[in-house]
This record gives sequence, C-alpha cells and structure tokens, in this order.
Amino acid sequence: MERREMLKLIALYTGAAMIGGEFLLAGCKAPTGEDITFSDKVKSLLNEVGETILPRTDTPGAKDADVAKVMEVVVRDCYWPEHQKVFVEGIRQIDEEAKGRFGKTFMEISPEQRKELLIALEEEAKKFNEKVEEKDKPVREKMDKESKGYDFIASPRHYYTMMKQLTMLAYFSSKECLTEAFEYIPVPGRYDGAYKIKPGDKLFSG
Amino acid sequence: MADNIYDAIVIGSGIAGGWAAKELAEKGLKVLMLERGRNIEHIKDYVNANKDPWVFEHRGERTREMINTHPVLKRDYPLNEKVLDMWVNDLESPYIEDKRFDWYRGYHLGGRSLLWGRQSYRWNKWDFEANGKEGIAVDWPIRYEDLAPWYSYVERFAGIQGSYEALEVLPDSEFLPAMEMNIVEKDLARNLKEKYKGSRHMFIGRSANITKPMPEQNRVNCQYRNKCWLGCPYGAYFSTQSSTLPAAKATGNLSLEVNKIVTRLLYDKDSKKATGVETLDAINNQTYEYKAKIIFVCASAFNSTWILMNTATDIWPDGLGSSSGELGHNVMDHHFRVGAGGSVEGYEEYIEYGRRSTGIYIPRFQNIYGDKRNYLRGYGYQGGAGRGRGVPVAEMLGAEFKDAQFKPGKWYMGITAFGEMLPYHENTIKLDKEKKDKWGLPVLRMDVELKENELNMRKDMMAEGKAMLEAMGVKDAYEYDWGYAPGMGIHEMGTARMGRDPKTSVLNGNNQVWDAPNVFVTDGACMTSASCVNPSLTYMAMTARAADFAVKELKKMNL
Repeated sequence: MERREMLKLIALYTGAAMIGGEFLLAGCKAPTGEDITFSDKVKSLLNEVGETILPRTDTPGAKDADVAKVMEVVVRDCYWPEHQKVFVEGIRQIDEEAKGRFGKTFMEISPEQRKELLIALEEEAKKFNEKVEEKDKPVREKMDKESKGYDFIASPRHYYTMMKQLTMLAYFSSKECLTEAFEYIPVPGRYDGAYKIKPGDKLFSG
Repeated sequence: MADNIYDAIVIGSGIAGGWAAKELAEKGLKVLMLERGRNIEHIKDYVNANKDPWVFEHRGERTREMINTHPVLKRDYPLNEKVLDMWVNDLESPYIEDKRFDWYRGYHLGGRSLLWGRQSYRWNKWDFEANGKEGIAVDWPIRYEDLAPWYSYVERFAGIQGSYEALEVLPDSEFLPAMEMNIVEKDLARNLKEKYKGSRHMFIGRSANITKPMPEQNRVNCQYRNKCWLGCPYGAYFSTQSSTLPAAKATGNLSLEVNKIVTRLLYDKDSKKATGVETLDAINNQTYEYKAKIIFVCASAFNSTWILMNTATDIWPDGLGSSSGELGHNVMDHHFRVGAGGSVEGYEEYIEYGRRSTGIYIPRFQNIYGDKRNYLRGYGYQGGAGRGRGVPVAEMLGAEFKDAQFKPGKWYMGITAFGEMLPYHENTIKLDKEKKDKWGLPVLRMDVELKENELNMRKDMMAEGKAMLEAMGVKDAYEYDWGYAPGMGIHEMGTARMGRDPKTSVLNGNNQVWDAPNVFVTDGACMTSASCVNPSLTYMAMTARAADFAVKELKKMNL
C-alpha cells in the first residue's frame, strides 16, 4: 500500500491526523523525547489492543503482525514528549478502564469484553479529540497564515486514538498484511489500467 | 591530468551538468566534472531500492531527529525515512529567508536528477515570445525553433514516454511508447474533449521513464514499481547516473571529482575570461585550483548564481555578471498545490495492475486562441484517477472493520495545477554578509514572493479545476488550495537570465556570461521566463545546444 494512501486511511478511521505523520510536521524547539522501551508485558497488552481493533479472520491479525514492536519504535523515535507521555499513561489507563468496567485487567477480560471496552473508548476519544481540535484550531490557523504551518504540533489526542493509529500503521505496513491479505507484487513489470476483478479477489500491494 | 589542466570544467552533476559533461566529452574535450557532495554509484548505492515496506524501522514515518535536523526538508513531502540520504543536510548548508523560501537541494553526485519528478515537456513557441510581446522583463534571445532540434536530440537519448497529440500549446517530443491511462482516465479524457469541443485535452503525463529497453545504455524498461525516488535498479528513469554519466565516462575523456565545492571562478581581467575554478574540499577543507578553457556552470540555479556572485569581486563587487544589475534577480518557481478532486461512479469490476510512475496532463488553455483572463500566462494540470482502498462499515473496530479495508473502494480523480510565475526584478537572492555555512562560505538570502498575477491565477486554477472535473462527470467535486511558498515547486529559475543586451541580462543567447564568454550557465539560472511546464527537459536541450556552440567556438579559436 502506498504510504500516502495508508496515512489517509488511518486519518479517516481515527478521526485524527497521524502523529508524526506527514499531516503533522515539525518542531521548533527541538525536544529530544524519552528513550522509551516497553516491557514484554506492555507489548502483550498493546498487541491485544491491536488484535481487538484488527483481529485475525481469514487474514492475519494485529498480533500476527506484532504491531506492538512497531508501536514501541514509533513512540520512541517519532512521538513528541507530550505525546509520549499520553501514550505511556494510556497503557495504565486502559487497565483502569477494564478494572472499572469488568473488575479485571485488560489482559484478563474476554475478547468480547475487550471489544466492548474499545467501542466505549472510541466514543470517548471522538468527543475528546473534537475538543482538542477546537482548542488547536486558532493556533493552527495563525501558524498557517504566517506560512509556518510546518511548525505546528497538534496537541495530544486521546490515548486510544494513538493506539488505533499505530495499530493501523504497523499492521498495514506489515509483511503479514501486505503478503497475505494482499497479493504482494514488488515488481509488477507491466501496467494494466483496466484489470478485471471479481468480488472477493485480493487487491495488490507492493 | 597534469597540473589540473583540462579543456572544460563542468560544475555540478545534476541534469544540466550531466548533459554538459556528456556532450563536451563526446566531442573530444578533456572534461572535469566537479560535484560538491558525495559519490552515489548507480544501482549499488540505491540502498533502499529493493527493500520491502516492512523493513523500514519507522515504516516510512518521520522521526523527531529527522525533523529537528531538517528545518527545510520537513516542510513538505521530501522528508521521509526512505529517501533521507538523497537530500541536502539543511544544518550544514543554511540560508536566510527574508520571506519564506523552501529550498530542497540534492548535494551529491547526480543531484536532483535522482529525485526529480521526471515530468518532461517541451516549451511552446508562445513561451519564448511572451516576455517580448507583453513587455515583461526582457525578451528571450532565442525562439522555439532554436531549441526544437535540441529537444529532439536530448529526448532520443534520455527516453521520454508520451503520446503524440499535435498540439501547438504543448509540442510533441520524440516519444517512446506512451504509458497507458487507466480505464477511468480514458473515459474522463473523452468527456473533457467533448464538453469543451476539442479545446481542452487530457493525456498521459510525459515522463523520462523508458517504456522500451535501451540496451546501448544498459537501461531496462520501467517495471511499474513506482519507486523511482529510491533510485532505480533498472535505470528506467533518466538520471545522471543511469544515462549521461556512463556516456561521458565511456569516452575516456571524463574526470570526476566529488566533495569539491567550487567557491569561485578564477577570472583574468586582461583576457576577460575565466581561467579555471577554485574549490574547497568538503572533507579536508583544502583549497584546490583547476584550469580549463571553458567552464559550464550547472550547479543548480541558485548555486550557479552564488558562484558568479563570488567571482571577480575585485572588479565587480557583486560578482561576475552583476554589471547587468540582474544577477540574483528575477527568481521564479512554479506555484502549485491548488486544484480539485472528486469521485467517479462505477468501474467496480476494475482495478489497476502495476504502479504507474506518471499521471495525466491537461495542458494550458488560458490566454491562448483568443481566451482572455485577468492575469497573464497560464497553467497546466497534473493528476490522475485511482481506486481507493476500503469501504465504509458501521463498525470502527473488529473483524468487519478490518475486512472492509481489503475491499476496493471508490474511484477518485484529482488534479493539481502548476502555474507560471512572472520574473520580477525585486524577487531576489543575495549573498548575506554575516552568516556562514559549515565551510565558512557565505550563504544566500532569499526575498521572493508571489504577486497579483499569480494570486489571480491561483483562484482560476482552483475554480477551473472543479468546473472541469464536474464537466467530465466527476461526482462530489471539491476544490483546494493547500497554500504555496516559493521554492516548493523545486523548479528554481532565473537569477542569471539570458537576454539580448548585456545591460539587462547576465547571459547571451548561447548561455555565455556577457562579461566572460568562456563561461556558460545552462541550468535553471539562465531562464528568462518560466513557462508553466516542468523545466528539466528544457535545461537538457539548452545545455546540449550550448555545449555544441562552445565546442564550435573553441575550434574557431574564439574562446
């Protein structure tokens, strides 16, 4: 999948521009960020969150693609410190939410319960993000007007949105997805602008 | 060569420099090509060209470090994990922006020929006449007819794919077989022609991607990976490395030095000629001199002018060519990032196989054949139709949501206009007296802006785009202006323009500096106006023409 296309898709389904992505450019004050590593326990949690969003069906799921590994690298190297903080805090919060709702940690609840929880978070995040965008809007517009839009850093969105974005980024660029859910053709060799498909045919990636 | 003496020195190894080296070496001159940056060896050094997408650690994302160390590149798409080593280090080579100017540079062997968009269009006859007719800036000293045979010459070697359209507004090149439009583009093109009664056209974007093997150059035809930016292991797009450099090397007449920053030309005021160049080694900071009979300055528009500005300052404080009062003036670019898009109904049983490395082109239709607008000149559109991925479902997560992402989405169509920018004397680059780069060399100061003509044009670019898509049958058409800052087109032009009079131009009609006839400037710096089409093909033709002239003059002992 083309990178641009993927970022558009992620923005569409998370209602927020990709953090560190090309919609969100730059930093003027050169923050260094934390050298973040996730424990195996945290990685398992993130993989299960990912699997709830993109579960294995007749194609590989988020866990198969080990999305947590990419999440760690992107949060470590691409996230601004204030976004890192929200993400790391979110790892704790998602367990709190699970405990509040089901009396158990996220890892302990059933896949159905996980899905129920994330659907609730999806709603919560939507409202939360709308407020953040409202707050960011004048700043963004002012910087755009001054032709400095590239230095605008969006305020952190809801931690769930970050997790969903990174799940999608990691999954849709993974070997598992690109070679199994799609037909991977690194060297097409020719172009056909009217290639016929039937419903259910795999699309191409490369 | 003994004592660093050559017949010709070529400064720069990008599109213009590569052509200069090839032409001069093939005509028997002993040529030295100087490149300020590192070596990039064809194929071997395209380190990311064959990597699978999942191999990139950040999956193509920008890291904080990349953003913090690339204050210019970060402003637009050029900054990303996969092509980072093909762009300049912004921190080493800063510049000053009196007004925002995005300067995307490639400081390495091959320059931006490795990273260019490969769109290749001839100028038309009106492009060369407009300045003179409209009283803008100065008249071009050449006409389309002067360049036409040289367009043919470079096209046959570089390899340009495209379709023959027989349009005055966009003369045909010597084409390789055209890449195909997809089924949606073909139908939309037919609709466009019908709706505008044959006065508007849409066809495949002409590009320097070869569609037939060129074994004589060891180049394989395009494999439809659309990964040109990573460097092509097939040599399927034109670059210095894939095309002109091997030809120049094959003559046995070429010497190449990398990591050599030309700091000035050596100028002899008695003979009124340059005698060579002074260079600074980018690695060891040593100064070296090289001598030659002729010098081709092809360092990219602004850097070519920077070299002139630093030359013969004992005679002209503002440098060689400044006697015209025009050196550093008349900066141009193509303004863009404005256009329209929408979706196309139907075609559900079709997708594209392969990833085409060009889009469609809609040539200029404004201010020609009696059409009149509230601005001068015009614009063309680039764009294309493609099929999206994923269909909307009620669920925002889970199995149904995931599986919906693997289904083909709607077809969409988008176009972006590229507009001509007029040459304004007050749009300038200057040498800054204070700030220095990593090597202690003075840096440039940019003062460039769009004016009323361009701003009026932008409104039209947007409105016409939407109206045209709607006329073609595109649904839910929307228009956009993402905002443009000079430089974003990466088509810097002007600052050492050609002309008919040494009092108002830096170069004559053969790209010779009026004040030093053995110095030729043939890259974007020489441009007297900008047209609205991508400029690289014109630099190729201009360079080949000037090289031919230079060698003939040398033989006549005129240089």
